[in-house]
Amino acid sequence: MDPAESVRMTVRSIRGHKLRSALTVVGVVIGIASVITFATFGASVETEIVGDIETTNAGNVYVFATASGDDDFDRVLQPVFTESDVNRLAATDGVRAALPRGIVRTQSIRHGNQTLARQQVTATRPASFTPSVLVEGRAFESGEDAVVVNEDMARSFDGNLSAGETVTLTTADGEERTLAVVGVVNGTRGELPVSDFARQPRVYVPIEPFYDAVVESPSAGVRQRAYPQVTLVADPRRIPETQSAVQAYLSEESDARSLSADDTDLVARSGSDFVEQISDVIERITRFVTGIAVIALVVGAIGIANVMLVSVTERTREIGIMKAVGARNRDVMQIFLVEAALLGAFGSLLGVPLGLVVGYAATRYAEVTFSLAPLWMGLAVAVGVLVGVLAGLYPAWRAARVDPIDALRHE
Amino acid sequence: MSETANATVVVDGVSKHYDLGGRVTALDDVSLTLSKGSYTAIMGPSGSGKSTLLNLVGGLDTPSAGRVVVDGRDLSSAGEDELAAVRGTDVGFVFQTFNLMPRLTAVENVALPLVFDGWDRDRRRERALSLLSDVGLGDRIDHLPTELSGGQRQRVAIARALSTEPALILADEPTGNVDTETGARILDVFDDLHAAGNTLLLVTHERHVAERAERVVHVEDGRVRSIEETPEGTD
Repeated sequence: MDPAESVRMTVRSIRGHKLRSALTVVGVVIGIASVITFATFGASVETEIVGDIETTNAGNVYVFATASGDDDFDRVLQPVFTESDVNRLAATDGVRAALPRGIVRTQSIRHGNQTLARQQVTATRPASFTPSVLVEGRAFESGEDAVVVNEDMARSFDGNLSAGETVTLTTADGEERTLAVVGVVNGTRGELPVSDFARQPRVYVPIEPFYDAVVESPSAGVRQRAYPQVTLVADPRRIPETQSAVQAYLSEESDARSLSADDTDLVARSGSDFVEQISDVIERITRFVTGIAVIALVVGAIGIANVMLVSVTERTREIGIMKAVGARNRDVMQIFLVEAALLGAFGSLLGVPLGLVVGYAATRYAEVTFSLAPLWMGLAVAVGVLVGVLAGLYPAWRAARVDPIDALRHE
Repeated sequence: MSETANATVVVDGVSKHYDLGGRVTALDDVSLTLSKGSYTAIMGPSGSGKSTLLNLVGGLDTPSAGRVVVDGRDLSSAGEDELAAVRGTDVGFVFQTFNLMPRLTAVENVALPLVFDGWDRDRRRERALSLLSDVGLGDRIDHLPTELSGGQRQRVAIARALSTEPALILADEPTGNVDTETGARILDVFDDLHAAGNTLLLVTHERHVAERAERVVHVEDGRVRSIEETPEGTD
């Protein structure tokens, strides 16, 4: 039969039972809205975190040591990567720069009359400061008595620290060194891609002359500086090859291998590995929570099935009339399926905006940027209609099988 | 075949049994022929099988034995979809209780068989409007059944029965639910339909209703007891 006509008849029948239909739709609305809410919120959190990492760290390969079997976030351990290792890594195909990082113990940092406690500063190479991260001033040079601070550090002092001023750094053994602040940065090349990392106050000093952790290099046979972590800036198009070349060097030939305990893994992890790891965790949580929300949708579907069964019983006589004037079984089935599908579709159409509003509120509450999950939205509407149709199948089948003679006798 | 060539309905040795915890015979070897343009009434007490006979001829039910042919189509061997098509286009039903769709207006009720027959919306409405004005309800087209009197409802039902220009009009106690005066007017409508060349089969238990037909088939205990030509039909 004419689909438009079955929709018209269905709308008429739904209007005939406004309250009952509305309550049924509410069930679906709640189901769809909860799915959309959790999916949207999950997508927003993921986009926020992943976006943070991807923009700054796409081309980086992070080399560090971590305890075996440690599935948690990698903790930086002992300084095992020697200068020889750094040079070999820098010479690996696809690597543009190797940026070792170390920690220098300190006591405090002073500017003017203000002294701030500071347990450690980061020792790194000038190449860590590209023009894109420099807010003002310049990078320090190797061997220079100078520091670079990040914006958070600059703001920690009254009246803001800026390039050209000086600070006094008290080292772990109590020695005071007055150093020029040559640059202010908003992050560096080669930071670990954890979003909060960049937002803490940081002070950077040149490795030469400040960093002095040394070990004897097994390969070179001389004492060399050693670092707990090295970031390789790699050709973004060749990350996987670079990564495996680096990994091979680390596990077979490196000084770090002989300097580390057996239960330590030396890993080369790319920015996208981190992204994947984090996305994976968030996605799993989102899917789990969304899965719970799907239960609400199932309850909605049962509501539709229930109402449709009542509707079939109530309209037995109408079914008989339709059959007496030429309706085939499939026409009757179509009318009831359209009704169920419409209830599901109404539920979806109301549920999607409601879910988006609640999802938006949740992202505001959690202070993450709102981002849409269009796939989930499309899916939710499709699922709503599908749920309606599935829930309507059995009642519609019952309706189609009604015997016209019995039905016409039905009061 | 020669005997049935001019027949709209041929009922040939039809029996109908129901299994209701024991075999119940509703019709037992009934044969009946309705020629084209004839007006036949079936009379009998309740439980005599007259409604069963009507249901078989109308494609609402299938016989346990024998053959029912309507407008050249053998219903005894028809499938569900074919029976639906017969009900929709070959026959038109008029019921005692009107059986209008409660949420459809008069014009939509009349157009309903056309929906299932695949007519488009404009043509359906046009046809339904013209039928409603034929039965004198041109000013009641958008009324719901509850807003119409019994007589008006039955006229809507008659218009609906005519919508697909069926070969046969079946009426089951069409005056049973209306007062005498209204009933008489409905029977006038049937006379007009007969005069216009339609084939009619009417079931009733009232003598004065049956007498409006050309002939009366008396049914008792599932068998045809006698067939009577009425004076009404002969003039």
